[in-house]
Amino acid sequence: MSLTAAYRLGARLFWQDKAMVFGSVVTPVGLAVGIPVLMRHVMPEGVAAATTIFHGMLALLLSITAFMNITVTLTARRDQLILKRLRSTSLTDGQILLGQIAGTATQAMAMIVLCTVAVRVLADVPLPADPLGFAAVTVAGSLVLSLLGAAYSAAVPRAELAAPFTMPVFLLAGVSAGAMGPIPLPDRLGQALDLLPTTAVVDAVRTGGLAGPFLVLAGWTVVGLAAVRLWFRWEPRRS
Amino acid sequence: MERMTAIQVHGLRKSLRGFEAVRGISFEVDEGEIFALLGRNGAGKTTTVEMLAGFLRPDGGSVRVLGLDPWADRAAVRARTGVMLQEAGLFPDLTVAGTVDVWRGFTAAPRPRDEALELAGLTARARTRVRQLSGGEKRRLDLALALLGRPRVLFLDEPTTGLDPQARAATWEVVRGLAGQGTTILLTTHYLEEAQRLASAMAIMDEGRLVASGGMAATLAARGGRVSFPLPAHVAAGDLPLPVTVADGLAVCRTDDPDLASQKLLTWAAERGLRLEGLEVRAATLEELFLESAGSAEEAR
Repeated sequence: MSLTAAYRLGARLFWQDKAMVFGSVVTPVGLAVGIPVLMRHVMPEGVAAATTIFHGMLALLLSITAFMNITVTLTARRDQLILKRLRSTSLTDGQILLGQIAGTATQAMAMIVLCTVAVRVLADVPLPADPLGFAAVTVAGSLVLSLLGAAYSAAVPRAELAAPFTMPVFLLAGVSAGAMGPIPLPDRLGQALDLLPTTAVVDAVRTGGLAGPFLVLAGWTVVGLAAVRLWFRWEPRRS
Repeated sequence: MERMTAIQVHGLRKSLRGFEAVRGISFEVDEGEIFALLGRNGAGKTTTVEMLAGFLRPDGGSVRVLGLDPWADRAAVRARTGVMLQEAGLFPDLTVAGTVDVWRGFTAAPRPRDEALELAGLTARARTRVRQLSGGEKRRLDLALALLGRPRVLFLDEPTTGLDPQARAATWEVVRGLAGQGTTILLTTHYLEEAQRLASAMAIMDEGRLVASGGMAATLAARGGRVSFPLPAHVAAGDLPLPVTVADGLAVCRTDDPDLASQKLLTWAAERGLRLEGLEVRAATLEELFLESAGSAEEAR
């Protein structure tokens, strides 16, 4: 009951805030729909190119709408002393965080579904062959990236630095998943980046193999939970 | 039936960033009692409240709230206590009623929204967005949220700071009413008058230590006072019936019983056909109380 209240609060605050919705929808949707549509029309093998780039774009969608959004939201709420106030209610720490993670993951999923349908209509990118597998891995990816973003907020000193602090993650996720086009990487680096949770989701969507990607996501879940337990900050640092 | 102890604090210590904010304090609060923790800014009151409410882990000593450790049993303690923090954020775009509704969702068996708003005197502001509230109104919304869960123990960190006199009196009424229903209330304030009017027990904190507590604080608070007036022309301080100190033409008489002293002075003046214009009678301020309690501590050494 309290967990759903925390979830509803996060959802209400997000969808009521028009600027927030616009800001967090326009860039990822513009990228994840616009680029595949462009590819479809300028490349010789249009549909294949659009499909490849769209699958890579899932990494960007996850890193913006899940990871970056929750990092920005939680650092802002922390610095505004809203997290502290939430803790003065009978919500447990776990409920507060889980409510926010579930809320952010829902937004990320909504964005993924929206973009998947949009590129089908606008760029003939085929719908996922295994819809259940696609749903399972994107939901898991949204949750894991939201969890990691929550943990990452501990590294952000002040709310206004949340966006620049998440930029490197966004770039790494995009490069590794091929969302920025084919960028030649040294083998070792490429293999290391394949272990990113965003790349795991993209691999699963591309190849249809779920076991490996789910193992990677499970590993990141453990990392995220441990980091939250060890380092999550509920209040700004006292001067 | 014997009264239970609701809050027990023993040898409590806390350092924040190398500064020893609380340096070994002990006190107890009975169930249904209003306990005032008095002190100037920076005395360590807020740090103490945050340890009692489970936001900070003590470095040493122990805290028990309703027999539970607020840090280790945080979930259990939170469910039974209400907290009004000195500083905490609100959602600026929610209305007052909307904020209360959201908070009701976090609370088991919450008060009805209208009851909470009425207790805090915010019924007329229910449809107002939080960002449009005055500082005092935000403070009262804080109070409404702290009361939602009908807590057995209520921590109020400077509940009346920023309130106008009318709102302050209304808050006092609410606090008294809750205590009458058996709620234990620990409040901090830097207004001596507030503590005297509200609390059945008090402790005075200075530089992380309790400098006076229980009956001693009440005694100190009751006895300190002063009478002051501009010394009339042609009157020397030595002529007066009471010992005074004179600075910048203002005669000040410190006394245990300021009412009696003012009567004496006025009688004396009337007999001589003088008028003591601008005569003021005041109970001791917290500042004066500190000087006195620090002074007596020095003497005791």
